Amino acid sequence: MKKMMIVLTLAAMVAFAGQAFAHSPLMSCFDNGDGTITCEGGFSDGSSASGVKMHIQDGEGTSILETKMNEDSECSFAKPASAYVVIFDSGEGHTVELNGADIVE
Amino acid sequence: MKKHFIPLLAAICVLTVVSSAFAHFMVLYTPEIALDEGRDLDVRVLFSHPAEAGHMMDMGGVQEFYVVKQRGDATAKKVDLKKYLKEITWSNPHASAPAFSALIPKKEIRSMGDYVFVMKPGYYFEKEEDLYMQQITKLILNVGGIPGNWADPVGLPCEIVPLIKPYGMWVGNVFKAQVLSDGKPVAGAEVEVEYMSHMPNLNTNSMPAKSSVEYPHDAFVTQTIFSDVNGYITFGVPKAGWWGFAALGVGPEKEYKGKELGQDAVIWVKAEDMK
Repeated sequence: MKKMMIVLTLAAMVAFAGQAFAHSPLMSCFDNGDGTITCEGGFSDGSSASGVKMHIQDGEGTSILETKMNEDSECSFAKPASAYVVIFDSGEGHTVELNGADIVE
Repeated sequence: MKKHFIPLLAAICVLTVVSSAFAHFMVLYTPEIALDEGRDLDVRVLFSHPAEAGHMMDMGGVQEFYVVKQRGDATAKKVDLKKYLKEITWSNPHASAPAFSALIPKKEIRSMGDYVFVMKPGYYFEKEEDLYMQQITKLILNVGGIPGNWADPVGLPCEIVPLIKPYGMWVGNVFKAQVLSDGKPVAGAEVEVEYMSHMPNLNTNSMPAKSSVEYPHDAFVTQTIFSDVNGYITFGVPKAGWWGFAALGVGPEKEYKGKELGQDAVIWVKAEDMK
């Protein structure tokens, strides 16, 4: 029981420490109108998203493309033919998911 | 007739003196400056006394109108916006003057980040004081919550640089900023503060006659604060809405067409109620 409490306390500390950094991940994507999509990422504290993993998946969650944010925290790729999802993955609790249907010009 | 005429004359004199005490303010306005995502932006540029929807002045055209945008620590980009300006007439209850509208398309306001809008008008000749005025005006907007260059000087002849996100203020926050002239802090700068108590109507290009504030005394219409020895101003924000700050005569240019020139730095910020 005591061990459990310690684990819980530690877990709570980690969780709150994460909040204290106050950098939520943010991403927006646009349809460039030329068959390509551009996503821009970042954090609420202004820090760079360069190198953050990007997963582009189809409607079933199968990977279409694995890529990364470039040095300008941007990422462009060919627009998938059917339903897709874009995931900005900067670690556990720090992901943003956008449905392809919501990505417009 | 004479008996009635003298009080009337006296009243007119008092009104004239009182109205000249109100501050001139360049207004660079769009309804929202904290946007969730990029969109077309409807903007107005006018020269008035916003706390009382008062006298309108001809700003003498627009010399410069641009935005410096930055997402996070990426390189800041400057985009000229002059091509979007259209001349309009802005009408307040008792005055109207040439002003400008601009519908800035989403392609310019698409990315997340900060957008620092700068408007440098022409010269306005103030007959009563026999001098020219020019108010270089800033408005800072954010898209999507990623900050950028909101706290960076643009490098204007004179400007007010905020130390608190000017698009993310609660009522009761303190607006702190630094007054700069040629990039250097201005100690003891006189800064006028006005509340937008007559909200601009973008459909009619006018301000309504009704005020959202009851002013108990003239000193409350235009408040005056001074910058400290390091050029910093501090102002507790008492009410939700738009607040304008004008640092008077701080710019390096002091003369235009052989007359005295007052080059002012203006910034508009918006506070929200905590609900």
